[in-house]
Amino acid sequence: MIRVEELEKHFGALHVLKGVSLEVQKGEVLVIIGPSGSGKSTLLRCINLLIEPDSGRVFLDGTQVNRRDIRPEWVRQQVGMVFQSFNLFAHLTALQNVTLGPIRVLGTDPTTAGAQGRKLLARVGLADKADAYPAQLSGGQQQRVAIARALAMNPKAMLFDEPTSALDPEYIREVLDAMAALARDGMTMIVVTHEMGFASEVAKRILFMDAGRIIEEGSPEEIFHSPKQERTRMFVGKILR
Amino acid sequence: MAVGTILVILILQTVLRFNLLDEDLWKLYLPSFLDGIVLSLRYLGIILPLSVVIGFTIGWARISRFRTLSWPLSVFVDFFRGVPPIIVVIFAAVLGPSLLPARFQSQDIGIIIAALTLAMHSGAYQSEIFRAGFMSVPRGQLEAAQSLGMTNGAAMRFVVLPQALRLSIPPLANEFAVVIKDTSLLAIVGGFELFGSSFIFEQQILFSPGNQLSWIFVVWTAVALVYFVMTFAVTELLNAIDRRYHVKGLEAVTV
Repeated sequence: MIRVEELEKHFGALHVLKGVSLEVQKGEVLVIIGPSGSGKSTLLRCINLLIEPDSGRVFLDGTQVNRRDIRPEWVRQQVGMVFQSFNLFAHLTALQNVTLGPIRVLGTDPTTAGAQGRKLLARVGLADKADAYPAQLSGGQQQRVAIARALAMNPKAMLFDEPTSALDPEYIREVLDAMAALARDGMTMIVVTHEMGFASEVAKRILFMDAGRIIEEGSPEEIFHSPKQERTRMFVGKILR
Repeated sequence: MAVGTILVILILQTVLRFNLLDEDLWKLYLPSFLDGIVLSLRYLGIILPLSVVIGFTIGWARISRFRTLSWPLSVFVDFFRGVPPIIVVIFAAVLGPSLLPARFQSQDIGIIIAALTLAMHSGAYQSEIFRAGFMSVPRGQLEAAQSLGMTNGAAMRFVVLPQALRLSIPPLANEFAVVIKDTSLLAIVGGFELFGSSFIFEQQILFSPGNQLSWIFVVWTAVALVYFVMTFAVTELLNAIDRRYHVKGLEAVTV
């Protein structure tokens, strides 16, 4: 479903991605862990072309998409993204946040989009919050609206960039539950997270990234309990404690 | 508000012993008064919309990718913010026409050029208001819009602009109040709007035998009242727009 080959990215003098390759099958959940500054967020943003990689190839459904003749908007429309800081549109209600993409990008008529939007909000447990503005919602609720907003575009895959890192502890569970439900429904997902419970439960594979490279790849069991690389061991030791 | 204004006028009338509705005066003054109001509104009709266009365009350009424009624009903004508008008006009215072909060299053209520079003066201030509005929309929302597949243009139109404009309205109301009163500066280059026409009239009654000195108070109270009403109407209109589009949690800090 998603394949990345030899991705390179510099920000000025900073070499952020140093030849990253990965592949995610349809319906698979891939978790990426690693210290801050290791290039995880940049990797996700290169996959939906929010950031243009310096070199390397990004494939979606077997088609290389980081090409001059393919509009990045067309790619982003098919790959949903959920952000650490939710990034809900502050001037729109929860429902309007969810329907903006379908109405303005897909050209769905507002009535149909509204009905779909309400269904999606119900799916993340927020049917009663359709008319609330982001400022009236808790962090957990905002993040679930953000998930519904991304789902509204009917994406082929979803990218999650530390979706629970900005949440108060009491709201983390509800967001992880929504994501686990999504995984059970067969959504292809790449998740940057340090939630070990979630990773063990939902992910088949975990990638450990450090300093712009993928250091180790394995099942949750392997990565968390018997990592081969010293750097993985040190990092896992820190976050498990 | 209205009650307070009437109260102030009543107190002024008693203390200074004049009658705002003095019929003898109004018979003489009414034509200049009305002509002045009409001219003031005409100037405002040019200056207000133009200043918004200038301010919005510059504010947008300065946050946009057109970095090359940013330096000259910041010089423009700093110039108009740093120079007293009255000096700008004098220079514009005197020098402006001399830069034009001979057939355009008249006082009227000079006044119009002065009015345009007043629009630029306010536009410089407004550009900062709009720029602040744009910058206060978190970058993450732009990213979120893009990741839904929106083009930059669509993200600007449906996500950034609605929020930036909302946040700009309260400080704009403030700025409009200043612009309305600044139109009176055009009087010194011969633009006889309300302030100018009333000033001429005052000079006449001062030196006409038999006229009462207290009429001066009447004239200026009436003039002040008109400026007050214009300012009040415009700021109330903007406040109404602000309330109409108010979103909980999306508030600007009023300057």
